Amino acid sequence: MRKGSQIVLDCLRAEGVDLVFGYPGGAIMPLYDALDGSGVKHILTRHEQGAVFAAEGYARATGKVGVAMATSGPGATNLITGIADAKMDSVPLVCITGQVRSALIGTDAFQETDVFGMTLSMTKWNRLVRSIEEIPEVIAQGFHWARSGRPGPVMIDIPVDMLKASMEFRGALKFAPVRPPEHVGSESTFATTLIALLQQAKKPVALVGAGAKLSGAVDDLQRLLDLLQIPAFATVHGLGAVQQESPYYLGMVGMHGTRAANMALDENDLLLVFGARLDDRVTGEPTRFAPHSKIVHFEIDPSQLDRVRPCELPVIGDLAETIPAFYQEAKHAHLPDFSGWRSVACGPERADPKATGLAHPTRSFLDELFSRMPEDGTILADVGQHQMWSAQRYRGSSPRGFITSGGLGAMGFALPAAVGVQLAKPESIVLCVSGDGGFQMNIQELATVHRLALPVKMVIIDNKYLGMVRQWQQLFYERNYAETDLSDNPDFVEIAKAYKISASLLTEEEFVDPAKKDDVAAKLDRFFASRQPELLVFECHPEANVYPMVPTGAALSEMVFEE
Amino acid sequence: MHIFHIRYRNTQGTLMRILGAASRRGIDMPFVQAEPSEHGHKATLLMDVNAKQVGQLCRDWHAIVDVIDVRPGAPIKELWDHAHLGIPHPPESAPSENSRAATA
Repeated sequence: MRKGSQIVLDCLRAEGVDLVFGYPGGAIMPLYDALDGSGVKHILTRHEQGAVFAAEGYARATGKVGVAMATSGPGATNLITGIADAKMDSVPLVCITGQVRSALIGTDAFQETDVFGMTLSMTKWNRLVRSIEEIPEVIAQGFHWARSGRPGPVMIDIPVDMLKASMEFRGALKFAPVRPPEHVGSESTFATTLIALLQQAKKPVALVGAGAKLSGAVDDLQRLLDLLQIPAFATVHGLGAVQQESPYYLGMVGMHGTRAANMALDENDLLLVFGARLDDRVTGEPTRFAPHSKIVHFEIDPSQLDRVRPCELPVIGDLAETIPAFYQEAKHAHLPDFSGWRSVACGPERADPKATGLAHPTRSFLDELFSRMPEDGTILADVGQHQMWSAQRYRGSSPRGFITSGGLGAMGFALPAAVGVQLAKPESIVLCVSGDGGFQMNIQELATVHRLALPVKMVIIDNKYLGMVRQWQQLFYERNYAETDLSDNPDFVEIAKAYKISASLLTEEEFVDPAKKDDVAAKLDRFFASRQPELLVFECHPEANVYPMVPTGAALSEMVFEE
Repeated sequence: MHIFHIRYRNTQGTLMRILGAASRRGIDMPFVQAEPSEHGHKATLLMDVNAKQVGQLCRDWHAIVDVIDVRPGAPIKELWDHAHLGIPHPPESAPSENSRAATA
């Protein structure tokens, strides 16, 4: 006989889980009681949101399913932002919550919430377990849906009496779906149609999103783009999917993308989309998006098609299958020479103007940091101005080398996610870039970093504002800086030291002072050389802005630059 | 007005996910019927949507794990009549003065 709690852990082990993130509480105590000797290591964060973001970080760094657990009521509701984040960014995640005992469900019992109902719209699949006998099947099914097709979050709610009950357990189950996913592979005729579209095109481009990375199709994509030799650019989640030195690569596209990428996206007559949702941060004003283009959309999730406007040719399926299938056909086809268009799109006249404004020192600082990162290192960016500066300055070509909360834009993501990444890649350098606002949203996870002695390199870009909101207030609300002033920030260096983490301050004045150049370089070298957690606070100009920028309601071609 | 027939396995939350695809877009559903059918369950939904929304809804429904089949179709007259005449909306039990106060 095994208890429900032991069966849960047995099933997790059977799914390959050896690490979970969580925070205990009343309704999930039996599961915690069974952890010892289960083979599942538990990482205690200091908030359930920290646990779910850490699980996300682990999943984003490895491609494996991340697991977070929490108690009922507030424990469960504290997971919700992370679940929504995982849904938006296609992160495989299984959240397990304790629930009040079955007899009390629906009575507004202490710490009871309808977390099943709350997470319906933000999970791929969720379940309230109704008997101990269901547990093996529910966990097997949950992991299947989390990692299959377009990955995403799953929520499993288990009443505490199910965790305490016992039954004969014959081993974990494997789930096989009744209806296999629809498959469009090499046998389809899309390749012929697409070749014809390319033969008619004068200005084709490729837009690369996260799907290319999630499907493991990066090498196949690179091979295809090398063959086509058409201008290519990436969304923030697509960064790292295309080799930076590729002569046709134009960098990041969208609201804070490069001029060359946005101009090419605006002017093209054939847009090949590889695993991107085409959200409003990428398209600019949707009604004015790529006005001349026919869209060919490679996508695993049919629900992502036609969000902006109907596509000419949907290519539904795993990009790891559809891209090679197209390559096999394309390499034998007679394709036009696009070098004339490419030389215009990639030409020097389309390069961004040389940055000289208030943000220039911060961007240079990020360049200095990133230049010290090894190829297998991971950069995490929180949400805000520093996120966009980091995305703009990222020069890596590692599919999982740049991690951020892109779709949901959840401030407070980066620090706990860095915990998960560092645990997934213990020998690797993990650099966590946050703003002063976002860092304080999950600052308690410094305790987790310290407890586990994780050598996370933490940087706060401190402008003493909620910078991105302030930038919009400056540009679109006549400098009415309503409730974005953080000039009374705490002393981050002292806070880190209170958590027994080494910390130091670098001001913009020091950084740009030629007389201190060697000292700054030595400081940054020491920052990366240490195998201990380190915090570096970089104080930048409070009114530094992120440029280029496509204002709300504008077309991509109407991007503005710093004056 | 468009009508949709959705076949699904009646697992936890599947009907709610089907309805949620419409409600998240602020689409009213004057007629909803869910019932057992030959293989699993069938939901019939009537709603006022444009062509773009039809495509989005169908793809959203297809993406739900336990949805088996989605068929959009032309409105059926009886359903339309039923939706507008047969079922009082708001419910008759709501006193009319209270209704006015609530919308004031």
